[in-house]
Amino acid sequence: MVTDNDLTKHLSEAQVSVEIQTEDMTLNIGPQHPSTHGVLRLVARVNGERCFDVRPVIGYMHRGYEKLSEVRTYLQITALINRIDWVSGYANEIPFIVAAEKLMDVEVPERAQYIRLILTEMARISSHLIFMASYPLELGAATPLFFALRDRERVLDLLEGVTGGRFHPNFNRIGGVKPNAGAGPTTKKTPQDLPAGFLADTRDAMSVVLDTCEEIEDLVAGNEIFRARTKGLGVLPPEVAAAFGVSGPNLRASGVNFDLRKVEDYLPYDKFDFDVVVGENGDCWDRWWVRLQEIRESTKIIQQAIDGIPPSGPLQAKVPKLIKVPQGETYVRAENPKGEMGYYLVSDGGTGPYRLKIRSASFSNISILSWILEGVLVPDIIAIMGSLDFVLGDVDR
Amino acid sequence: MTSSPSDPELAVHPLQEFADAAAEAVGGEAEIQFDTIKLRVPADQWVNALTKARDNLDLVFFSWLSAIDWANDVEVGDTLNEETEERIELLCTVCDLTEGRRITFSTDLPNVKPSVASIVEVYVGANWHEREAAEMFGIEFEGHPDPGPLYLPESFLGNPLKKSYPLLSREVKPWPGTVDVEDMPEKPSTENPEA
Repeated sequence: MVTDNDLTKHLSEAQVSVEIQTEDMTLNIGPQHPSTHGVLRLVARVNGERCFDVRPVIGYMHRGYEKLSEVRTYLQITALINRIDWVSGYANEIPFIVAAEKLMDVEVPERAQYIRLILTEMARISSHLIFMASYPLELGAATPLFFALRDRERVLDLLEGVTGGRFHPNFNRIGGVKPNAGAGPTTKKTPQDLPAGFLADTRDAMSVVLDTCEEIEDLVAGNEIFRARTKGLGVLPPEVAAAFGVSGPNLRASGVNFDLRKVEDYLPYDKFDFDVVVGENGDCWDRWWVRLQEIRESTKIIQQAIDGIPPSGPLQAKVPKLIKVPQGETYVRAENPKGEMGYYLVSDGGTGPYRLKIRSASFSNISILSWILEGVLVPDIIAIMGSLDFVLGDVDR
Repeated sequence: MTSSPSDPELAVHPLQEFADAAAEAVGGEAEIQFDTIKLRVPADQWVNALTKARDNLDLVFFSWLSAIDWANDVEVGDTLNEETEERIELLCTVCDLTEGRRITFSTDLPNVKPSVASIVEVYVGANWHEREAAEMFGIEFEGHPDPGPLYLPESFLGNPLKKSYPLLSREVKPWPGTVDVEDMPEKPSTENPEA
């Protein structure tokens, strides 16, 4: 029988022992964890509420695309690389196809380039809307998810109308885009073109997306909890970000005015007027804010592209039926929603690449985890990890 | 596309000036292929060259590091058109954050027991990339702070991205579809009606 006296004694002893003996604990997060966006495992040494020596363990989803590319033809590879960053599958195709076109010296028709550009920006919007949905959710706010996913679905419907696929469009071909784009009743009359009403629908969808941006901003930006949990947290200085190869919105949130859409010529972005959104402090708040503004900039680009798209014209340049890419090497990179996505393509003149190095954005973006999570509080692990916006398919390839 | 000037012999590539300046500053040979500057340096100058690239050329952004296995006995993939010297080519792309100029550094390593100094001290982001290259190509990076496999399990044997490593799924079960596109039956092409 334990008396009250004993209990008090035990408790006071327990108190003392807690104060004297604090032990480091190893905390395992993942591989299956809702906030890891796939299968990422973190091993952290935790002392009280602080964590140290965070070690990300990756490779649970390594599919060996670089090896597989060596036995596939160029046409088959676009189907593979859709699945690298599956949240914006369409955008993955562009740098690879452009690299092959560079080696083949193929000039892509203007209309096809515009379609590529519109769809790439749609992929960016849908990817950023996923972030707008999941990031507040990870911090405990469920409502923005409904707003963001509702309009993401609208954008994906349009993408599906053109390409036939929501996530894995496999739509680009060397020399242009897939013919018979809008399979449907209008196909026979106007082969090789967009579905009827696509441009008008897109224009509508863009204004809806802009409204949703307002709604999300109203909901989230003024939220005291969200501000408290993101402002000043996970600060990433620009020089550290650059040395780690952190790219895309994460780099721009740290105050670096650098956007591959402005410096590379993989798509005709120079014809459009848009701003590169740059953050100030490089904290979680800035990373969220930059992505929200990028959705707005993307809608601006799409509106201008709809105005400027040539009303008719071929969607496909003349290329041989059997694609053989001449010998050569090139690196083509693009500003994907997650950051710099590039392909180092080495061709030996065959029907498939000799070597294809895939530079994916999330791989470099999360290599920063052990640096940025050093000494943070345990609940902040999720807040910081979520703000980096990675996808495990993009990490493991 | 700027890659295809109508007369490649006469037109000077817009990147030529930068490539020459970089080659002089770093030491090595620059070559421009399809808008990509490749700067070849000797293996013992690898760390030195990348340090100069970061400090003197302002190429502060680490993009990627990987390798190519130039082998003659190709078992998977396509046959090479010409004999090549068997070697591992190590590549590393770095770029600046103002004009987006980039250089792919390249160095040749022997095919057997390739080894080179680690550049993690210069670009900390090379850490994971070097671990990946180490397990995929068997390259030893001397002085790497955290060696060990990255993607592959500890017990994995072999270096999967070497050409001599068979793609086991292909060996066990052949590709179910048509392998050679030329064998496809003649149909009115929907891909390209004008061709």
